[in-house]
Amino acid sequence: MSLRAAAARPRVLLTVLPGGTAARLAAERQLRLRDWPLAASPAQADLLLVAGPDCPGLRAPLERLWQDLPTPAARVSAPGADAVQAALDSGRAQLGSREGQLDRIRASAGAHRHGGRPAKGEEGPGGVHDGHGPHGHGGMEMPGGLSMAGVGEDRDGLTLDQLHLPLGPFLADWPSGLTVHLVLQGDVIQQANLADPIAPGGEGAAPFWAQPWIQADAGEPVTAGEAARRRSAAHLDSLSRLLSVAGWPAQTVVARRLRDDLLAGAPGPAMAPRLERFTRRVGRSRTLAWATRGIGELSTQGGKQAGVSGPAARAGGDVTDRYRQWLADIRRDLGRLDQPARLQAAEAEESPRGRWRAQHPPSAALVTVLPALLTGAELAAARLIVASLDPDMDELLPTRREVRAPHD
Amino acid sequence: MTESGAWWTLLAAPAMLFCLAALAVAANSVLDARDAGRSAGPAAAMRPFLALPRALLTQPRRLPAPDVLLWRAGIAIVPVAAVLSTLVIPFGNVAVADLSVGVLWFNAMEVLTWAGLWLAGWGPNAAFSLVGGYRFLALGLAYELPLMFALISAATGAQSLRVGDIAAAQQGLWYAVWMPVAFVVYLAGVLAFGFLGPFAYPTGRDLAGGVLSDASGVEWLLLQAGRWLWLAAGAAMAVPLFLGGGAGPLLPAWAWSLIKTLAVLAVLVVAVRRLPLVRADRYVELAWVVLIPLTIAQTLVPALVDLAR
Repeated sequence: MSLRAAAARPRVLLTVLPGGTAARLAAERQLRLRDWPLAASPAQADLLLVAGPDCPGLRAPLERLWQDLPTPAARVSAPGADAVQAALDSGRAQLGSREGQLDRIRASAGAHRHGGRPAKGEEGPGGVHDGHGPHGHGGMEMPGGLSMAGVGEDRDGLTLDQLHLPLGPFLADWPSGLTVHLVLQGDVIQQANLADPIAPGGEGAAPFWAQPWIQADAGEPVTAGEAARRRSAAHLDSLSRLLSVAGWPAQTVVARRLRDDLLAGAPGPAMAPRLERFTRRVGRSRTLAWATRGIGELSTQGGKQAGVSGPAARAGGDVTDRYRQWLADIRRDLGRLDQPARLQAAEAEESPRGRWRAQHPPSAALVTVLPALLTGAELAAARLIVASLDPDMDELLPTRREVRAPHD
Repeated sequence: MTESGAWWTLLAAPAMLFCLAALAVAANSVLDARDAGRSAGPAAAMRPFLALPRALLTQPRRLPAPDVLLWRAGIAIVPVAAVLSTLVIPFGNVAVADLSVGVLWFNAMEVLTWAGLWLAGWGPNAAFSLVGGYRFLALGLAYELPLMFALISAATGAQSLRVGDIAAAQQGLWYAVWMPVAFVVYLAGVLAFGFLGPFAYPTGRDLAGGVLSDASGVEWLLLQAGRWLWLAAGAAMAVPLFLGGGAGPLLPAWAWSLIKTLAVLAVLVVAVRRLPLVRADRYVELAWVVLIPLTIAQTLVPALVDLAR
């Protein structure tokens, strides 16, 4: 009885695997309608929802994440968008069932006997406990078995502790599949190294946000309205993450709702005034602009040299300029949401993150400029920088080429 | 005139504070439901309270080398300080304890949250949590001095640190009217010591929840309760400080206190939702360059008026 009461409104840790964009969107929509809050860390969550196709390379970090959830907890996975409803229902049932929870307690007690809790590793939002570097202090006993931080020179020539902190692959409001290893001194990032993207195990689908362009490339009929819709929805998705990271939860929800309605095919004339109201409110917020000014400067010139072609290159500036560019692009597309004309060659119209070229997807360029932008920034700015570029790691997956193959 | 209440007010004041905080949470939840496209009825208002059984049932987690004592102490301090702050706030004409240094008491309790949140961030021995705790210190550095000058403005106007005296001194003209800067800075301070809305920096989602990132179950519940209790306490304190306390036509004093408190609380909840987060490094700049000089100038106004009397 009490277990069931506690399971009435589970907090969900939504973990997105590479290629899981469609499942994530379905999950976010469902959670919004059911009013199940999104947890920001495993400690706050009851339900671990894994969205996306199984990925052998990420099984171990997922397991650690799962160990980090406090009991009672349940874990469900939704490989695709249509599995989300059932997964959520089964998750709630597991949370409310006495047997399921006893099993978990027994399992964790067993794991504890056999050499303690699994070593917490590099990845995961909870995996911040041993962010200290691999600098052994041979033989000395350290509190909790953790090693002390190593030291190194900082930008001012002072010798400071170095903290090795990985961001990703499972962070809330973070591009799925992206992992950045940071070396921090104080809260300043001294070094940022990208980890190789991890490919999903099985056959992946085409990257969700670039789908219309891939289809047009393959000669399938795609309307311009469809492309404009997908592009606006992608920008709203990016904006929702940026707003969440920047700390404006009310507008985050508005952005997600608009995105979901666009993807569900709500008629353009009904969407236009709502989109206009949203872009006006966010675009005119001086506080938001003030909080994001001067962070992550990427000039048009520098962007183009790195191969960036989308809104990020056109904006040519800091985080503020980039989100305002998204808003401007959404406004520009307002009248085209229902255009029946066929999408001309994919070259003519930009995909959400830049000109679509199968061999050089626009997100690849966004990822290459990341380390340089992150180095020297403060930790608080790092998330804003990543969110303002919002690379879609699915575009970098090899599965995309298989989609292209017959046409080449 | 404000008088100290009977023994039972010691129980009634915290109970009322809890009701006000719950009301704010419910209102926020209804607005959430409206934004998210769910039905915004009474059911939506009750949804957040489903977190109660859940929090009580959640088992403690095992963390590598946490500082359990300081962690728990820190977490408990936040809601406890909020409740203690209400002892000096008059409701109508009755306060639990109408101390001669009531304003100082309120300020001292609010500063206790500094220690509380910092320890709550320190305890779990985790990077995001620690950064979250330090963020509150940075935020404190920015909001505290302007807030203190705002409190001093009201105290100077009444030439007393007794909250009841301050309310009584506003016969005719509310301090909110002729000390608008102090009033606005005070309201911003309330959001800041409640670490909500534009000042939710210590619990930022960019830090996976910051101070809250390793808090589960009861720990999480106490910190969340603490922030809404502080919001309610701050709203209640605004009434005697700036809005003339229980004074008003026709209705009894307690009714006016209640109406004014609810109005301030509504304004605060709307502000929490309408304003995006302000990062502490940016706010420090504004606070020290603009707000501190402004609030000092504001304090001068009642001081000069008092001298001229």
